[in-house]
Amino acid sequence: MATLALTKALLLIVPAVLLALLVLPARRWRLAVAVPLGVALAFAASLALPSGILAYVVSFAIMGSVYALLSLGLNVQWGYTGHLNFGVAAFFAIGAFTSALMTVEAPTGIAAQYTQMAFGLGLPFLVGVAAAALVSALLAFLVAVPVLRLRLDFLAIATIGIAEIIRLIFQNERWLANGPQPLRGIPQPLHCLVRSQGCDWLPEWAMALFEPLSPRDYPLIYLVIIALFVAVLYLLVERACRSPWGRMLRAIRDEEASAAMNGKPVTFVRIQSFVVGAVVMGIAGALYAHYVVTIDYSHFHALFATFLVWVMLMLGGSGNNRGAVVGGFIVWGVWSGTAFLANAIEPLLALIADDLPRRAAYFRWLLVALLLAGIVLYRPQGLLREEKRVSRYLRE
Amino acid sequence: MPLLEAEGVTAGYGDSEILHDVHLRVDEGEIVALIGPNGAGKSTLMKAVFGLVTPRHGSIRFRDKEIAGHTPYNIVKEGLCYVPQVANVFTQLTAEENLDMGGYLLDESVLPERKERVYALFPKLRERRHQRVGKMSGGERQMVAIGSALMLDPALLLLDEPSAGLSPKLVDEIFANIEQINATGLAILMVEQNARKALAMATRGYVLASGQNRVDGPGQALLDDPEVGRLYLGG
Amino acid sequence: MATPTPQERERPTVVTRTARPGERARALVQSRAFLLLAIAVVFAVLVVAAQLRGVSAERLLSLAAWGVMLGGIIGLGSIGLTLVYGVLKFPNFSHGALVTLGAYFTFAFLAWLPQGEPLTPLSFGWEFPVALLVAMPLVGLVAMAVDRVVYRRLRRQNAHLVLFAMASLAMAFFLRSLIYIAWGPDFHFYYPGRPNPALTLPFNIRVRADQLFILALALVMMLGVYLLLERTRIGKAMRATADNPELAQVRGINTERVIAWTWLLGGALAAAGGTMYGLSSQLRPEMGFWLLLPMFAATIMGGIGNPYGALAGALIIGVAHQVSTAFMNPTYGPAVAFVLMVIVLLVRPQGLFGRSGG
Repeated sequence: MATLALTKALLLIVPAVLLALLVLPARRWRLAVAVPLGVALAFAASLALPSGILAYVVSFAIMGSVYALLSLGLNVQWGYTGHLNFGVAAFFAIGAFTSALMTVEAPTGIAAQYTQMAFGLGLPFLVGVAAAALVSALLAFLVAVPVLRLRLDFLAIATIGIAEIIRLIFQNERWLANGPQPLRGIPQPLHCLVRSQGCDWLPEWAMALFEPLSPRDYPLIYLVIIALFVAVLYLLVERACRSPWGRMLRAIRDEEASAAMNGKPVTFVRIQSFVVGAVVMGIAGALYAHYVVTIDYSHFHALFATFLVWVMLMLGGSGNNRGAVVGGFIVWGVWSGTAFLANAIEPLLALIADDLPRRAAYFRWLLVALLLAGIVLYRPQGLLREEKRVSRYLRE
Repeated sequence: MPLLEAEGVTAGYGDSEILHDVHLRVDEGEIVALIGPNGAGKSTLMKAVFGLVTPRHGSIRFRDKEIAGHTPYNIVKEGLCYVPQVANVFTQLTAEENLDMGGYLLDESVLPERKERVYALFPKLRERRHQRVGKMSGGERQMVAIGSALMLDPALLLLDEPSAGLSPKLVDEIFANIEQINATGLAILMVEQNARKALAMATRGYVLASGQNRVDGPGQALLDDPEVGRLYLGG
Repeated sequence: MATPTPQERERPTVVTRTARPGERARALVQSRAFLLLAIAVVFAVLVVAAQLRGVSAERLLSLAAWGVMLGGIIGLGSIGLTLVYGVLKFPNFSHGALVTLGAYFTFAFLAWLPQGEPLTPLSFGWEFPVALLVAMPLVGLVAMAVDRVVYRRLRRQNAHLVLFAMASLAMAFFLRSLIYIAWGPDFHFYYPGRPNPALTLPFNIRVRADQLFILALALVMMLGVYLLLERTRIGKAMRATADNPELAQVRGINTERVIAWTWLLGGALAAAGGTMYGLSSQLRPEMGFWLLLPMFAATIMGGIGNPYGALAGALIIGVAHQVSTAFMNPTYGPAVAFVLMVIVLLVRPQGLFGRSGG
């Protein structure tokens, strides 16, 4: 039992340290404080929390990370360049289904009649993620070329349409990804770590470390993977936004005419940033697919996959990557929290009308819609304002 | 009693201040020309009078009533009409519909008579009353713009560069129209680039530069002033 | 003068010069005729595809007739959308929710009203038009109320267009969740199980009487909108405000009041569109969202702010959609609208009836 807690704690160190780094202010002592704090947090969580609660926290953190990535991708598009993308769901879905098709083994024999798919290549996880990024980029490019040269409100209309059409395709085309039926059995990376026979490529001592884990504990490993993805993508995006390229994006967003007059390739750069944001969203889709194992078209409803993401970014603060990630976790927390709220008000609703308790879930929508309206009306800059810093080398 | 009196007006957009402590007066029946180099703040002063720019300091009184900071919608009701320099007609509407919009505050029964008056002043508009203004020439548009402003039968008409973009022949026509309008007793405050012509017909003139009053006096006196001629009338 | 952004519009061009060949080609591609040709090509492709699938010409004609009816429904929705877009300059993403709300309001009033004998060959009795006439102004009032609480506040802050768009997205989900809470996720019918057999018209076109009613009602409402916009003061003021809001204020038009009337009219027409759509199929909480893309496509095709253009665009989209169902899954309706919209955006973004160079 003690070894199990120890293994869990060791796994939790990575996400805990990253969380500490995210929350602490950017001072010189940040790293020095974050590491011990993260380690302490990891051990505390693993030792003190009952396993049921810990599992809930882990699954919450994984979904929060998926949304943090979506929010980060949207920040590149909206926060830094001013693209009004109301079709986040399209890139999320295309990423998820691409990675699934690349990594699932195509069924044979009788199973093939129940699960139809265009192809199933059985390739490794990272190949799936890379493919998701690529296809998402391609879709973004195809949308961007005709629409981005026009008024920015046309992009909003076009993207909302793309998202709807992508969803319709995955709903209706059985041959592509099993039509309205779910696509099952998406492989999970490093799943062998929690199986009794273990991974044959790992050295003996490492295997001994993971030995106490059972398949039930797999989300812990996935949390480490996704936390690393978030960290790496965050750093890449942050770097890009602080680079001359990022400054050019903001110049084009704020003063398009003068940026053009200064010889910046305005349209090309706008397309680039739209594609970069879409790549991050596509990766988020792939990571989502490999976590939930089974996906279908209904997962990519505009509410979950577009609207929530906008609430996250607007709350966190557009133009601020840290705000985007923090907003992702906060709003995911609010959304998850309202599930309890909906349960709690069910008896009350029963007093009003018989039908109402079954519709308690829709009160969650109502709350989130009001949250966004409130942000737009009263604090459009979000929790964290856009940082005015021009470059790492130049401090005001 | 002055019709319009502005004192100590300071105004601008955002962080930039364009007018500094400007004063201006228009009496009943006068034509007052507002001249000065580009960027002097002439249009901004007009907009401040009309509530399109909110003055930060100072007072603007029309018939002794404070109107500084009021909305244009309320200022119109006081008997002031304004013809902006650009975008001063509804291009999607016909000439007659433009005049109807000019008389939006009036009772519907008065409209035909008022439109007749405008057509009497600009006979060309009567011929083209059902044409979309977007398809009209610059001179015709200016007639529509001035005509719409006359619909309410105001006591004071503000004209922002009525001759901008017109051919010399049309400029003379428009100026003749303005004198004609003034002859009916209407006071006129106009911003003009055609400074000599404007001063020649103006009762009084104001020279504005860098957002400040420089010189003012009777129109002819300003024309004769060698300093004004050298600095603001191009020699 | 130091005006920060003088709105130069449509100054008559003084300078004339010979256009270079590239510019001439561009002007040709962006002409109205070329756009109409492109749309005709889409239709030709649809018809050929249907022929290849062995769909009879008579069936195609019937489908086209239904398409005209669907176009009427989309048109009713797009008129409000385009008026709001024209006057307030933002795409109202909650317009679909107003359409749905209208359908459900009619549904709610039908439950209160006594049910009369069906007016054969129509499937409904006199209570249906009555319920519709009550629902229309009510949805208009809802639209006005949303404007009062949300958009007017943004106008006062001089907020950027995108904040309006975002707020409208929030309102779309707000209204939709209210619909879910009030009526649940299940399908509803105005008259469950009541038959409405198809009539056979000349050329063997088969349509239901209800569909003819929908078309007639759409035409009557279009006529009403035309009279309102061309003949009444408030209608002219709406067009004037859409054209140049600042000048409208300068001319003494109370633009806030014009905006309120625009919402009232747009909401009422959306309610009519939603009710007609509910009558022709069934009521679903997502029905308005499904219509949103065709409505936007019609709005853009007709030129933003142009209600007659929106109607023309809606008819084109309605017919294209119905003809495509001859060989495609009908749920792909938004995709057909989307393809047409992208063609418009590529060729002539200002739409069929928009000003060139706009």
